[in-house]
Amino acid sequence: MPDATKHILLVEPEPMLRRTVAMTVRSLNLGQVHEAATSAAALRLLSVRTFQGAVIAVDCVGSGKDSRYDLGLIDRLRADAAARQTLSIAIMTETATPELLSDLRERQITRVILKPFRARVVLDTIETMCRSRKT
Amino acid sequence: MLIAATPDNEAARLAALYDLLLLDTPAEERFDRIVAFAATEFDVPIVTVTLVDTDRQWFKARTGTELCETGRDISLCSHAILEQDILVVNDTLLDARFADNPLVTGAPHIRFYAGAPLTMPSSLSLGTLCLIDRKPRTLDAMELGILRTLRDLVVLELRNISEVADA
Repeated sequence: MPDATKHILLVEPEPMLRRTVAMTVRSLNLGQVHEAATSAAALRLLSVRTFQGAVIAVDCVGSGKDSRYDLGLIDRLRADAAARQTLSIAIMTETATPELLSDLRERQITRVILKPFRARVVLDTIETMCRSRKT
Repeated sequence: MLIAATPDNEAARLAALYDLLLLDTPAEERFDRIVAFAATEFDVPIVTVTLVDTDRQWFKARTGTELCETGRDISLCSHAILEQDILVVNDTLLDARFADNPLVTGAPHIRFYAGAPLTMPSSLSLGTLCLIDRKPRTLDAMELGILRTLRDLVVLELRNISEVADA
């Protein structure tokens, strides 16, 4: 697979935020962001290349007592090849409940970005990931 | 107050602007969403997509101001379209070009201005995406990068109009 260095996966359904982050990372030569609007699109990208880091929007699915955060993509990432088990992952989400934080700790999530946030916050996160030598 | 020079390519610039058939048209979501995003991202009270016409600047998209146009003679964006990159005025009161400008001394009381020229592939700058604050401030390299990106998104929308018109 191609070298993962400075290649970041961004999974975010909102196109304006996604495009702004990806284009700014490219224009400032921070790295290269690969955009996915959905988990399915992200899985397709993961099948063809490796990444140095990932920033993933995590939404609550279901309603009432059955509502839960969809961590399926993160589980797939962590379950895959050894390189992905050390992949630096940040998530973007509405709220951080104790249960969610516990689930995230188990999955070695390095950063939680709470909505509403600015594109700048995501860019700073990606810049930090790209500066990290760990792949 | 220093009135901006007229660009050397003014006739071609105005022809390109008029070819878009955009002046005095209603607001459009594709531009409004960029302006709204920029206002939130930079935490500024006023953001506009400004088109610089013969004697006026007209706002295709705007947030934070009721004005839909002003005279070109007092337009800060008329200065920005002369630049290759973003024109940043950290404090208008400290800049001789703008300190006694009516838009600075009166409403909307501009103290900070950042205008990213909307430069088409033809190298003609038709207007700006501009940020305005009522207090002095600065933009760092990352913020300038974000503003350039949002400007590029506006230019992409203008190019879409241009390409449809040429088809």
